[in-house]
Amino acid sequence: MSIFEFLMQPGIFDIVLNVGAIVLKVAVVIAVAMLHVAYATYFERKVIGHMQVRMGPMEVGPHGLLQPVADMLKLFFKEDIIPAKADKPVFYLAPVISLTAALSSLAVVPFFDGFVIADINVGLLFILAASSIGTYGIILAGWASDSKYSFLGGLRSSAQVISYEVAMGLSLVGVIIMAGSLNLSEIVRAQEAYPMGMYAIPQILGFFVFVVAAFAETNRAPFDLPEAENELVAGYFVEYSGMRFALFYAAEYIGMIIMGSLAVTCFLGGWTIPRFVTQAVPFLGGVPGIVWFLLKLYIAIFFYYWIRATLPRFRYDQLMGLGWKLLIPLALLNLLITGIIKVAVH
Amino acid sequence: MTLKDVIRKVFLVEIVKGMALTFSRLFTRPVTRRYPKEKRPAEPGFRGLHALVRNPATGDAKCVGCGLCAAVCPSRCINVYTSEGPEHQKVVDGYEIEVLRCVFCALCVEACPYGAIALTPHYEYADYSREALFMTKERLLDNWDRYMGEEGLRYFDSFWNPKEAHFKTPRGQAMFKGRIIGGFSG
Repeated sequence: MSIFEFLMQPGIFDIVLNVGAIVLKVAVVIAVAMLHVAYATYFERKVIGHMQVRMGPMEVGPHGLLQPVADMLKLFFKEDIIPAKADKPVFYLAPVISLTAALSSLAVVPFFDGFVIADINVGLLFILAASSIGTYGIILAGWASDSKYSFLGGLRSSAQVISYEVAMGLSLVGVIIMAGSLNLSEIVRAQEAYPMGMYAIPQILGFFVFVVAAFAETNRAPFDLPEAENELVAGYFVEYSGMRFALFYAAEYIGMIIMGSLAVTCFLGGWTIPRFVTQAVPFLGGVPGIVWFLLKLYIAIFFYYWIRATLPRFRYDQLMGLGWKLLIPLALLNLLITGIIKVAVH
Repeated sequence: MTLKDVIRKVFLVEIVKGMALTFSRLFTRPVTRRYPKEKRPAEPGFRGLHALVRNPATGDAKCVGCGLCAAVCPSRCINVYTSEGPEHQKVVDGYEIEVLRCVFCALCVEACPYGAIALTPHYEYADYSREALFMTKERLLDNWDRYMGEEGLRYFDSFWNPKEAHFKTPRGQAMFKGRIIGGFSG
């Protein structure tokens, strides 16, 4: 039996077709995500530039539109420097762990109705788990570089992510209770059926906790202590250069996209828009879901930049105090209220 | 804590205010000047590249070689070489400025009684070699023609008021007629 005949057997053919479809989906999602990462950097520099009454990138291409391409080329041809005392295998591995963990989270995000790479029932847990694994990349990078700056950055990052993961998980439990599912697509459908169209309104407390925790989780300003420029140079990736540095950079931006997507799917109605909007303006119902999803995601990402352009960095004890003494009690309170209402309604 | 304070704290009023400010800045015109494309003209009195003022009457430098500029220069970057001419006059053989050592204090311009040295508004003279930034008398005169010229003379007259115009033959014996600050006067 030749390979072709083997593949053409009825059962095998379906499997091959399925795998092919999944691989295609993965390729599309990764390609689009990477493009978004490249232009997220451009968007960030432009938004923060204009908020600071500057221009941002202007030189490469019209209005600096080719700046990400130039950056990518530059990073690609940069010398790959490895510190002499570095723990080489771990040093090589760390950025890959970071990026893989970030990219794998994309697998469970429903971009529009029916388009999920892996429509698993514990999607939400999967994202939380993957983002925690990403922290391994950060702390291993800090440790393997044999530099006090990167080590401090790695330690801070792990402490921060662990603290804020609790608050974030608890804030999402409210959504899980309302939707009755951990599957992200189900959560979006539950929101579609909900009169207000999005859980951000009834879960306003949870949404607040989630947004703050998401900033900490992605190491973004005002919680960017792991890469506090003025204290730690760049934090955990000080010793990285060239493509390895780019991997960390990409992981950070994909992390932002993941947290943005999580906010969109869990609180802002994902690919749907509230029913009262489509009733008021009927033609909006015909707009494909991906448009709404991306629009909401871009607004979420814009919010990241907006906050970064506005707020100064927290002190370390303030960060921990905020996480443990404010966000976790708030999330628990939100959980309690949600639970009571849920029980009272049923 | 009053109720107002509580409300301000709970609804993050300060942060919202800050964010409103940054958002409003998003729609203002950037103050950036895109330098090589968009050049800012130097204001009169800008201390750029050095030049020796060319005397329009003689065509040579106004410099008489008194060496006050070299004496006052804090970074000691001016060298003046003089010799005695055939009619016992002072001849300026050479005038050198090492631009790389200059701190652009313009004390030389202030010190010169003849208004013979100037700092031109020209500031784009970066180069790769030390030689290119070592100014000889010829180059300094050339700088004057290129970056100041007639306009420079007018500028000198109206802003620096060179003392040469006020020089008169002293009555009787030479004496100091200036104001002595904080000391004996009489």
